Amino acid sequence: MHTAEKKKPAGRVWHLFVVIVILTFLLLPLLVTFLFSISTVWENTIMPLGLTFDAYTNLFSDERFLFALGRSFLVAVITVALSLIIMVPTIFIVSLYIPRLEKWLQTVVLLPFAIPGVVAAVGLIKLYSSPPFAISGTIWILIGVYFIIILPYVYQSTRNSLRSVNAEELMEAAEVLGAGKSRAFIRVILPNIMPGIIVASLLSFSIIFGEFVLANMLVGGSYEVVQVYLFHMLGTDGHLSSATIVTFFALIFILFALVLKFGNRKPQAKLPSDDGKEEPA
Amino acid sequence: MSFVHIRNVSKSFQDNKVLNQVSLSIEKGEFVTLLGPSGCGKSTLLRSVAGLNDIDEGSISVGGMDITHLPPKKRNVGMVFQSYALFPNMNVYDNIAFGLKMDGLSKLDIRSIVDDMISLIDLKGKEDRYPNQLSGGQQQRVALARSLVKKPTVLLLDEPLSALDAKIRRSLRNEIRLIQQRLKMTTIFVTHDQEEALTISDRIFVMNQGEIEQVGSPNDIYTAPASEYVARFIGNYNVWSRQQLQGLPVRGVPEQGDVFAVRPEAIRMETGYGDEIEGGIVADGKVTMVSILGNILRFEVDVSGLPVTVDMLSGQSIEHLGSGTPVRLVIPRDEWKSIRKSS
Amino acid sequence: MAGRSTSQHKIRLLLLIPFLLWLFAFLLLPAIMMVISSFQNEGGQGFTLGQYVKGLTHPLYTTAIKNSVILSLVSALVGITVAVIGAYSFTTFSAKMRDRMLNISNIMTNFAGVPLAFGFMILFGINGMLTLLFKKLGLSFLVFDLYSWTGLAWVYIYFQIPVAILLIYPSLYAIKQEWKESAALLGANTWQFWQRIGVPVLLPAIAGTFSVLFANAMGAYATAYALVTQNFNLLPIQIGGMVAGDVFPRVELGSALAIILFLILAIALFINEKMLRLARKGQ
Repeated sequence: MHTAEKKKPAGRVWHLFVVIVILTFLLLPLLVTFLFSISTVWENTIMPLGLTFDAYTNLFSDERFLFALGRSFLVAVITVALSLIIMVPTIFIVSLYIPRLEKWLQTVVLLPFAIPGVVAAVGLIKLYSSPPFAISGTIWILIGVYFIIILPYVYQSTRNSLRSVNAEELMEAAEVLGAGKSRAFIRVILPNIMPGIIVASLLSFSIIFGEFVLANMLVGGSYEVVQVYLFHMLGTDGHLSSATIVTFFALIFILFALVLKFGNRKPQAKLPSDDGKEEPA
Repeated sequence: MSFVHIRNVSKSFQDNKVLNQVSLSIEKGEFVTLLGPSGCGKSTLLRSVAGLNDIDEGSISVGGMDITHLPPKKRNVGMVFQSYALFPNMNVYDNIAFGLKMDGLSKLDIRSIVDDMISLIDLKGKEDRYPNQLSGGQQQRVALARSLVKKPTVLLLDEPLSALDAKIRRSLRNEIRLIQQRLKMTTIFVTHDQEEALTISDRIFVMNQGEIEQVGSPNDIYTAPASEYVARFIGNYNVWSRQQLQGLPVRGVPEQGDVFAVRPEAIRMETGYGDEIEGGIVADGKVTMVSILGNILRFEVDVSGLPVTVDMLSGQSIEHLGSGTPVRLVIPRDEWKSIRKSS
Repeated sequence: MAGRSTSQHKIRLLLLIPFLLWLFAFLLLPAIMMVISSFQNEGGQGFTLGQYVKGLTHPLYTTAIKNSVILSLVSALVGITVAVIGAYSFTTFSAKMRDRMLNISNIMTNFAGVPLAFGFMILFGINGMLTLLFKKLGLSFLVFDLYSWTGLAWVYIYFQIPVAILLIYPSLYAIKQEWKESAALLGANTWQFWQRIGVPVLLPAIAGTFSVLFANAMGAYATAYALVTQNFNLLPIQIGGMVAGDVFPRVELGSALAIILFLILAIALFINEKMLRLARKGQ
C-alpha cells in the first residue's frame, strides 16, 4: 500500500482530508458537550463566557445522580454476573458436546439485534405490568431483559475464546490426565478463556450503562438509572446534563481501553496444522 | 497373553462406519504404529483406547483389565496430541504436574517425580516457561513428559510430530523412541507418514477404511506389501496390473498373479543390450525425466506408454542418461511381487 | 457405555435449563403476549384484525411508517457511503494510525441516544455553537433547523456512520493491494479495478451493512424521543407513546404497530438475503 501512496501524493492528501472530516464530525458533539460541562455561561455566544468545574462538583454532590449511578452499576453487576454464571457453561456445553444445537443457539443469541428495544418493551410491559408477575418498574425486569440484550456479546466472546484455546482438546488432555469433566472445566478451561469472559463483561457493562429505551419504558422514574436521570435533567439543567454525559463517556473510555487490553491478548495455544485431524469426534 | 487387546471394535459417526470389526493385540513394551491416510480410522481407534470416544461394539483391555466402559480419567493411559494441547495458563512444571495433582499426590512427591521427568526430557531450567514461550519441539517434549509422569499403562501418540518442521521431527522421533525403549513403555503411535512409521516402530498396522490391511515389521511391510493399497501407500512402488502389461515390450512376466509391485530401487537399468538374465523380467523403454533426490537419481521411464519409476544411487556413471535415452530395464524375478488387488 | 453417556447427556441438558427458562420468560413469552395482544380489541378482549387495519390505513400511522422508512433509507444510504469512503481512507494509513482511527470511530458508536441529542442541541440548536458560528461567518445556508426533518436526518446519519465503519471496515481491509497490482499489470486502471473487482467483492458486505443500518434506524427511539419529546411522527415514537406514554395506554394497537415494525425489518433482512444470493451468483 505504501508504494502506491508514495507515487500519488494527491491521493494521500485526499485520504487525510476524508479522515479528518469524518473524525471531526464524530468527535465534535462529544467535545462541545465537554466544553459545555466546564463552561460558566454559554447561551447565545459562539464560545462560552468562562470556564469552571462547578458542574462536576454539583453533579457528584447530587444525591439523585449518585443513586442513579449506583442503580446502573447494580443492575450491570447483577446482570453480568448472572449471565456469566448461566451462559458460559451453556455455551461451553453446546459448542463442545451438543454441536447440533450450535446453529440454533447462534440464531437465538442474535435475536436481540433484530428486535428494537421499543418492540421488546411492548411485550414485556404487557406481560409484567399486572399480576401474577408485576415486576414492571422494578430492577428485576431490567435484569431480565438486559440478560437477553447482552447475549450476543457474551456468546461471541466466549465462543471465540473457546475456539482459540482449542477447548475440546484441552478438555481431552485434562481428562486423560485424570481430571473429571467439571474439574477439567474449572481448572483448565475457565482460566484460559478468562480474557474473553472479561471482554464480554466489559462490553456488557458499557451496553447496560448506555441503555435508555427499555430503562425508560419499563421502569422510568421508579428505578432511575443514569440514562433516565440524564433524560430528566436534559430539560432542566444543561450543565448537569453535559457533566453526566462526559462522566458516562469517561466510563465508556475506560471500559473500551480495558477491552482493547484484554481483547488483544494473543491466544496462547497454537492451533494444529490442518492435516491429520480426521474424524469428527 | 498380549498386553493390549482390542477385539472386534466398530464405530460409526452418523452413517459413516469409521472402524469395522478391528482386532489387534500388542505386547508389553512394544512400539506399534497405526499407519494410514486421513480418514482411515487410525485416530478414532487411538481415541477409543483413551476413552475419548465411545465404541459401538467390541472390547478393549489393557494389562488384563477390561477398560471398555471406563471414563478416560480412570484408564491411566498417556496421550500426546498433534497440537500438544498444553494448558496455556500453566508453566512447564505445572503442566507436567497436572496429572499427579489430579491423583492427589503430596507436593513433595510431585516435585521429585516432575524433576526427574524434566531432566529425562532435557528441559531443565525451563520449568517456569509458559507454553507460548517454547518452540514446537519443546512443547511436544513437555506434552510427552506430562503424559509419562503418571506411569501410564499405554502411551498413545496421535500424530505428535506432524505439526513440526522436518528437521525437528526427525530428532524428536529418535528421542521418543529412545525414551520409549528406556522406560519399556507400551506405545501406540498414529501417523500418516510412512517414513516415520518405518523408522520408529517394532510393528506396523496399516489401516484402510476402518480395517487393518496388513500387519508386520517395518521390513515386512516395506519389502513385501500384501496388497495394492499397501504398496501404493508405502512408497514409490511401481504397481501394474496384468492387463496394463498386455502387448507391451515386457518379457518374462510370470504366469500367476493379476497385480504386481516392484520397488524402484530393485530395477536395474542398462543401456547396452546384453544378454537377458535368467529368471528376470525385461522391458525396453525410454527415459523421460531425471530428478536428483539427494544421493539418489530418479528416472521416469516410458515403456510404450507405461510409466516406470527407477531409482539408482548416483555416481554409477549413469548421469549421462538424459531424457530420450533408450534403456533396458531388468527386474530380478524375486523382486517382482504379486500382490492382492485392492478395491 | 450407553449408561455412562446417557447420564452425562442428561446432566448436560439439565445445565441448559436456566438459559432456556430465561429465554422463555424474557423473550418468547413476551413475544407471544405481544402477538396475542395485537389481535385483541381495545381493552384486551376478543379476536380482531382491527388493530392491524387501523395501523395500516389510518393516516397518522401510515405517515409514521412512511416517515420511518424514508428516514431509515436516507440515513443508511448516506451513512454507508460516508463509511465506505472513510473506511477506505483508513486502510491507506499505517497500521498504528489505522487502529487509532478505528478505535475512535468504534468508541463513538456509544455516542447515541440521549447524549447524542444533547450534543446536537448545543451544536446545532437555535443558539447552538455552529449555528451561531455559521451565521456570524455569513454561512447562513449551512444553518438548519435541528428540530426539523433535515435536523433529524443529520442526527441519524451521525449515529449510522461509526456503526457502518465498524461493519464495513473488515471487508475493505480485505481488498488486497496485490489484487490492485495484478489488475494494474493486466492493464486495468483504478476505475476499472473498482468496477470489475472491488465493488463486486464488496457488494455482499455493503448489502449486509445496509440492512443492519436500515434496521438500526427503523428501531431507533431514544434520540428522536429526547430531541423533542414525541414531536416527530415516527413508528417507534408512536409505539412508545401507546404502551408507556402519558396518554392512556393502547397496548393492543401498540402491539400491532410493533409487529408491523418487526415485519418491516424481517422483510428488509429477507430482501437483503435474496440480493446477497443474487450478488454471489452474479460473480
